[in-house]
Amino acid sequence: MNGLPDWLTNEKGSDDIAPLLINGSSFPLEFLAAEARAITLRRFGRTMSLYAPLYLSNVCSSGCAYCGYASDRKTIRRHLDFTEVERELSGMKAMGISDVLLLTGERTAEVNFDYLRRCVDIAAAMMPRVSVEAFPMSVNEYAALADCGCTGITIYQETYDPEQYRILHRWGAKQNFLDRLEIPERALQAGIKTIGIGALLGLSDPVEEALKLLRHVRHLGKTYWKAGLSVSFPRIRPQTGGFQPAFHVTDHFLARMIFAFRIGMPDVELVLSTRESPALRDGMAGLAITRMSIASRTTVGGYVEPENSQQGQFEVYDDRSAEEFCSALQAKNIEPVFKNWEPVYNGPSTENNIS
Amino acid sequence: MVNKYVMNELQIGTYRFSSRLILGTGKFGNVQSMLDAIRASGTELVTVAIRRFNREQIEHDLFAALSTIDGLTLMPNTSGASNAREAVRAAHISRELSGSPFIKVEIHPNPQHLMPDPIETYEASRILASEGFLVMPYISADPVLAKRLEDAGCASVMPLGSAIGSGQGLTTAEMIKLIIRESSIPVIVDAGLRSPSEACAAIEMGCEAVLVNSAIAVAENPEEMATAFAGAVKAGYKARKAGIMPRSGSAVATSPLTSFLGKAT
Repeated sequence: MNGLPDWLTNEKGSDDIAPLLINGSSFPLEFLAAEARAITLRRFGRTMSLYAPLYLSNVCSSGCAYCGYASDRKTIRRHLDFTEVERELSGMKAMGISDVLLLTGERTAEVNFDYLRRCVDIAAAMMPRVSVEAFPMSVNEYAALADCGCTGITIYQETYDPEQYRILHRWGAKQNFLDRLEIPERALQAGIKTIGIGALLGLSDPVEEALKLLRHVRHLGKTYWKAGLSVSFPRIRPQTGGFQPAFHVTDHFLARMIFAFRIGMPDVELVLSTRESPALRDGMAGLAITRMSIASRTTVGGYVEPENSQQGQFEVYDDRSAEEFCSALQAKNIEPVFKNWEPVYNGPSTENNIS
Repeated sequence: MVNKYVMNELQIGTYRFSSRLILGTGKFGNVQSMLDAIRASGTELVTVAIRRFNREQIEHDLFAALSTIDGLTLMPNTSGASNAREAVRAAHISRELSGSPFIKVEIHPNPQHLMPDPIETYEASRILASEGFLVMPYISADPVLAKRLEDAGCASVMPLGSAIGSGQGLTTAEMIKLIIRESSIPVIVDAGLRSPSEACAAIEMGCEAVLVNSAIAVAENPEEMATAFAGAVKAGYKARKAGIMPRSGSAVATSPLTSFLGKAT
């Protein structure tokens, strides 16, 4: 594909970490785990910052082949009204959640920017930290979200393989690979403080995906020196539509990838969601992962109203309650941190001096 | 001979502390181990991030936990602020919540390496000092910035020994010596210390106190490590009081090189 940026294609951007990741790597997994653990302990201590997702809507116009909310799935479609948003957030607060990720599908007539902004408004009045994983927006729109108290934007490239990207995004606004690649930068230009990126592991060759993701996060760090950076490691989970990923990403490769990222990016937040099993999550806590979702629902709402037959975006693997999960962390001498932010730190990072 | 110019107590503003070890409260595996480490250290001054104040979940509220220790003074910090405006607002909240006149100004716009922003730190410190806070700015080991902050009314300066959580020790020792030489306010090394011997060295070289967090919090036994740091800080201070032998650049010749001076022939 023409027009790919140099930071993505230039292998020099990841040649220090490539030897840890390539098939047949001579670096034993145990060695990488020990290195990652030492770095994580020094830099982040014995703590785990916790967040929970709130799906505002499952209405979507896109045709992403791997997603349970793609527009051709026969799922009941709905979005939360503002009273429901408030009620769900109250329910999450009662569980101790102080850090929320608001999610939507692609932009539609009803679930549009004004809707999302209002939801961020509501959430920022109730939670110290609010992030958004939604449709791509313009710089002005991201700036308006930052003004309302949105601290972070999560947006995955899904796959860094342009050919797979073309095949998997069957229709809709998400079809343009290069457009998608620019979105994190748009958010950072707008003063969004933290950007979360990732590749949906299983869509293409995992080694290549890992190296390009690493180059992406490094590029963002170099270009936007104030950016808070986090990397997620979502593996494809079973979902409505029965999509079968082309590549099987083993536990061993996933662990190797996470350790390599900790070694290559010692200060970056590494995130593991409830897509993964309790055993894997508990094991990775303290080794390299510093941020985890907790007690997640992947249906629309679901924290107050019991989940009904409605299908989630994907199947949650770690379905332990907040208390159960915290107990598991505490048993490993890791402090679960629900609140690690103060609303006074909200607002666009572009605004500097006090005068 | 005891060096009478070395004060026995750490004095910041009008506050006096018998310990020269200040503890950070982040990174501990649980609240109890943090409290145990604080008690074992004998510290009377701890810093706590305002973002870890959690009024709605008392079991996760570091401020509430720290309030259970008698005789402990809190120095809230603005960690998480990326500019002066945010730090000033956070300081106002901290004073309201904790009642403490102390504020550790900590502004790191780059959330990766957490290096302090000198421009924003100066601006926030100047404003907060004029508002009556006892301002303790966390800074790079920059002697000029240190004097600027002293002139702006700060109660102390807290240069970094090395990057937060790096455990690299006193990599900035020579710059810190310059800061100490010129400073009329307490100089406190903050960040980067890994082992008690480094804390001891910082006190020996003339720092009034050291602030330690990671080295204690991530130790296998934080309580024991806190005790070790307390002992090291005391040893460093005793050594300073006792008068440390000057270092000589070369050996002194047994046959003096200048014995010819004043001889007639």
